[in-house]
Amino acid sequence: MAAPMLRCLLFFLGMFFFGTNASDEFSEELFIKPLQKGYVYSHFQFTTKWNASIHHQETFQHYHLFPKALGEVLLHYDVQELHLSQTQGLWHHRQWGYPIHDAPPGAELWVWFKPSVKDIDKTWTDLANAVSGLFCSSLNFLDSKNTVTPRWSFRPQGLAHQGYAYRSYFMRYGTLPREIVCTENLTPWRKLLPCDSNAGLSTLFNAFHFHDANYHSLGLHVRPICADSACMEEAIELSQSLSVVTDVVSTSNTGAPHWSLKSLFGNHLVSACPIASKSVIMVQTANSQEPLPYRLTPEPTSVEEVIRGDQKHSFAVYQVPSFTHSGRVLNVAGTYNDVSGLQEDGTPPPIHAHRYITGYGLSDGGISCLIHSSLPVNQSIIYLDILPWFTRVYFSSLEVSNNGHKVPFKVHYVPAKDRSRPHHLELSFMLWPHSTTRVSFTFTRAFLKWTEYPPDANHGFYISSAVITALLPSSFGYTSPPQESSQLSSIFSENSTSYLIRIHTESLLVSLPTPDFSMPYNVICLACTVLAIAFGSMHNLTTRRFIKEEAKAKRGLLTKVKSFFTRQKDATLSEQADAAESADQNDIKEKSKEKLEASNDKPKEGDQS
Amino acid sequence: MGNTGQNHNIGIALIHMITCFVILYLSFNPAGCMSHEEQVNEFFQTGHTNNWAVLVDASRFWFNYRHHANVLSLYRSVKRLGIPDSQIILMVADDMACNPRNPRPATVFNNQNQHINVYGDDVEVDYRGYEVTVENFIRVLTGRLPESTPRSKRLLSDERSNVLVYMTGHGGDGFLKFQDAEEVSNVELADAFEQMWQKQRYHELFFMIDTCQAESMFQKFYSPNILAVASSRVGEDSLSHHVDPALGVYVIDRYTYYALEFLESVKLGSKKTMAQFFKVCPKHLCISTVSTRTDLFRRDVSQTLLTDFFGSVRNVELLTETSSLAKVNTSSRSGSDTCSKDSCKGTDRKPGRFSYPEQVPSILI
Repeated sequence: MAAPMLRCLLFFLGMFFFGTNASDEFSEELFIKPLQKGYVYSHFQFTTKWNASIHHQETFQHYHLFPKALGEVLLHYDVQELHLSQTQGLWHHRQWGYPIHDAPPGAELWVWFKPSVKDIDKTWTDLANAVSGLFCSSLNFLDSKNTVTPRWSFRPQGLAHQGYAYRSYFMRYGTLPREIVCTENLTPWRKLLPCDSNAGLSTLFNAFHFHDANYHSLGLHVRPICADSACMEEAIELSQSLSVVTDVVSTSNTGAPHWSLKSLFGNHLVSACPIASKSVIMVQTANSQEPLPYRLTPEPTSVEEVIRGDQKHSFAVYQVPSFTHSGRVLNVAGTYNDVSGLQEDGTPPPIHAHRYITGYGLSDGGISCLIHSSLPVNQSIIYLDILPWFTRVYFSSLEVSNNGHKVPFKVHYVPAKDRSRPHHLELSFMLWPHSTTRVSFTFTRAFLKWTEYPPDANHGFYISSAVITALLPSSFGYTSPPQESSQLSSIFSENSTSYLIRIHTESLLVSLPTPDFSMPYNVICLACTVLAIAFGSMHNLTTRRFIKEEAKAKRGLLTKVKSFFTRQKDATLSEQADAAESADQNDIKEKSKEKLEASNDKPKEGDQS
Repeated sequence: MGNTGQNHNIGIALIHMITCFVILYLSFNPAGCMSHEEQVNEFFQTGHTNNWAVLVDASRFWFNYRHHANVLSLYRSVKRLGIPDSQIILMVADDMACNPRNPRPATVFNNQNQHINVYGDDVEVDYRGYEVTVENFIRVLTGRLPESTPRSKRLLSDERSNVLVYMTGHGGDGFLKFQDAEEVSNVELADAFEQMWQKQRYHELFFMIDTCQAESMFQKFYSPNILAVASSRVGEDSLSHHVDPALGVYVIDRYTYYALEFLESVKLGSKKTMAQFFKVCPKHLCISTVSTRTDLFRRDVSQTLLTDFFGSVRNVELLTETSSLAKVNTSSRSGSDTCSKDSCKGTDRKPGRFSYPEQVPSILI
């Protein structure tokens, strides 16, 4: 009698707390991809789907799984889409393939505002401030000096009307290549998760392991998506991702490339987040038909194979609740049987790039970007480069060449304005099959005002990463989920034929002619010295009384002897006798010497003060 | 269906009963305290209702690791004693935890033994790196920040707030350097505090500074209710405590080290006083002379609790009798203010199929 009653009560308690907006959906996924040379790529993907329209004001009055702190920011600043990444380290595309979310070193924020926004630039600045408060970062430095409106490179990733998406009028993009990413950024990001780090995959978060890794990236993406497959309703998707690339070989004690959850994150997995509709660990086992070089333990729940374009991708899938439901722990591990193939360079992905500074000295310089393509066909790409105003680009020097031949390109260039706008260079051109294309231009360095230098000016000044956008025909090395959903398991049901990549190159460091900051001090010292010498001598000259001295007769030996004796007598009479006026110059010199010696014998009083 | 409706009613009734059992409320409600004159007096004795802390590390560069550890140690202490993160403004001029030179990433230790990671997993830095400037510091104190500044970066104190201001860095007679590039003078600081007082931004202010010739920083103060302590006299250097050979840098300053040793022994309900706190670092330990200033402060420091500044003590009293609360109608909320699939259908501006835009402009392909 009591048991069904209690069950009913629990059911209604549950209804009371969760019933108001039960259509929210949360999923947690961990994607692991072992890379060449003993690196392991781990990507945590937390996706919250809120079945409500971002365009309705009343949406943001009641929250369930979606974090309210973020929702209020979205509402107040009329945000349609928000993409934030905070990254430490550089993703090596050549060796590691493509990540799920590509991100440049430092912080990157790009936002699509709703058409109802009046003053986009002001809203952007205010939004950057609000987001910086939310994530403990210095995004408030994203002002007009490092913000652009890319024309072709970025399009809304979520639902949008073609007319809205076609013009980037409502979009702003800004990067801070020097932004530090540390535990204080992870903490607020983690607090947005429905389970925080109390249960589920987020219990694997360990700041010590993350920051000891070669690459570490926090991402947060909000966009409107389709609520269902028919796409008759809108939903809001919040995708939170955390990527880590760990060098297993150098961090393990044995030097072996074996990995496990315990070795990667310092902990086993003991639970799944109870409110997650999906709690999955996926291990990408192979790109092609090759046998697996490592053995996975425990046995996965299922093995999924998916054909994406010309490539077959296979994944070992672990349903976390089925492993942890009875109090057991899950420690997915990969043990290599044969490590010989691991040290070889992997096949690079179809497109990868390398960007560097050219030139020498402090007056002129240049930037070159080599874009490698291993595709058998022509591939069109969009290249976006943003340079700070103090690197003055010579547009005439811009050149796109391939093996000595000039490549035709379409260009959108907005020159900088001193202290208010960066250089914005956007190019669109073809990559020829199996070739390397070089984009190059030169610049000259401007002088800053001395108050504009940062406290560590000699460290240099960062130029943010270039962004290369392309729609690839091949899914080789490609890991991102399709556009419809950020959930990684949506890869299994994908059937598209082109794959969007947006890769970020290296950020660059240039040194500017830096003044000597101790110069004001030196100037003061020098000026004072000059003043003291000039004024001192002038004062001396103008205030001294000059007395004409009688011409002295030349003294003979006798006179000298006489005067010697008189001096001896004087000395014995009195020390204080003032003989300066009548005595000759030799006398004065000797007197002053005596005085000096006498004063040296006295105890020194001045040193202690 | 009828049966479930009945159960629903029982469920709601039960919730109300549960809420009635657990009732906490503040003891300054006069009805609850009529009979406890003493407790009321004790409650109003301090005169403050909330606590704030502004903790500043003004030094950049790796070799100033110790200043970073100083400020984080204090952050840890005030947080442990109850001041929430939202009421702590932490300004850190450089990144030591994730500095490439740090062999133990994401950690900062204030001791060679490494038993306390003061950086922890739960640190919230409000101003960091280039943001730590004299201008921002003075703006935070005086509240003259741009409109868009988020709450976490504001000192939202009022005339009932006790504010702790801790500063560490390199200083000299009458100034403290920020980022090795600019400095705040003692006159500017005194004026900022006066402005705070005039704007009713504090009730009592405790100023603590660990730098060379630290005493000079509080000599110009003229606003009431300020209590100050400095690690050294004018003409004296403040010295660091010990070096960690694994890091190759000094890890903490002497004065903060001994102050922290004392603070670690303080619990939330502690009766330790400020007078005791002023004696934590005698000359033979600190090598410099700890200097205090009490003439602006109304109360007797030997009667002033340490937790008035370093902690946030909430006086809460449990009521034994049950109070009944008015019934709140919860059912009317659902549906009207949320936008579920059904309720929003009518308001859709453009019903029809939504679509994803193309990611690369087709004219370029």
